Amino acid sequence: MRGKNVLATKVTIAGGALYVAYDSGLLGGSEQGSKVIGKAKAAFPPAVDEWVKYFGFELPAFPKIGFAPVEAWNSGVHSSISALSSGPTAVGDYTNQGLQYLKDLAK
Amino acid sequence: MSEKELGKKLDRCLADSAVKLGAGLGLGIVFSVVFFKRHTWPVAFGLGMGLGMAYTNCQNDLRAPYLIQRNIKMAS
Repeated sequence: MRGKNVLATKVTIAGGALYVAYDSGLLGGSEQGSKVIGKAKAAFPPAVDEWVKYFGFELPAFPKIGFAPVEAWNSGVHSSISALSSGPTAVGDYTNQGLQYLKDLAK
Repeated sequence: MSEKELGKKLDRCLADSAVKLGAGLGLGIVFSVVFFKRHTWPVAFGLGMGLGMAYTNCQNDLRAPYLIQRNIKMAS
């Protein structure tokens, strides 16, 4: 009897977790998933503030980073690919310059 | 598909992948603790399921404009 109670409790807990995940849209399509992340981002700072007030200590202010990786990504890709495409030419030029320098030294 | 649209779809894919991996990890931990005596394999299984769901969603999202949609009318 006790074994059955324990099993029923476990099934309830696991089933509840599964239901909560399904109900909050965690297991749905990509639109729902991105909405969930948006909601979580919006709910995170007030939740942190509440917990800080509850525990009564002050968190240091979050440093504001002026750099946004999302906006810098495209320019980063562009710069990397430009560097890669002009790489062999640049290496050739530097090699020639180096050889010329050595020849001048040898004269 | 325009570049802007592709960018939005990829953003959605990334966000959804994070959500699915997190959900898979969480559910794997719950099942591992509740049923499987804190073994590691349910967590790995949950992560794998999450990854698979994220991959399928991304695939469907990126293929959507190229699928021929069929509207089936129910006979009244």
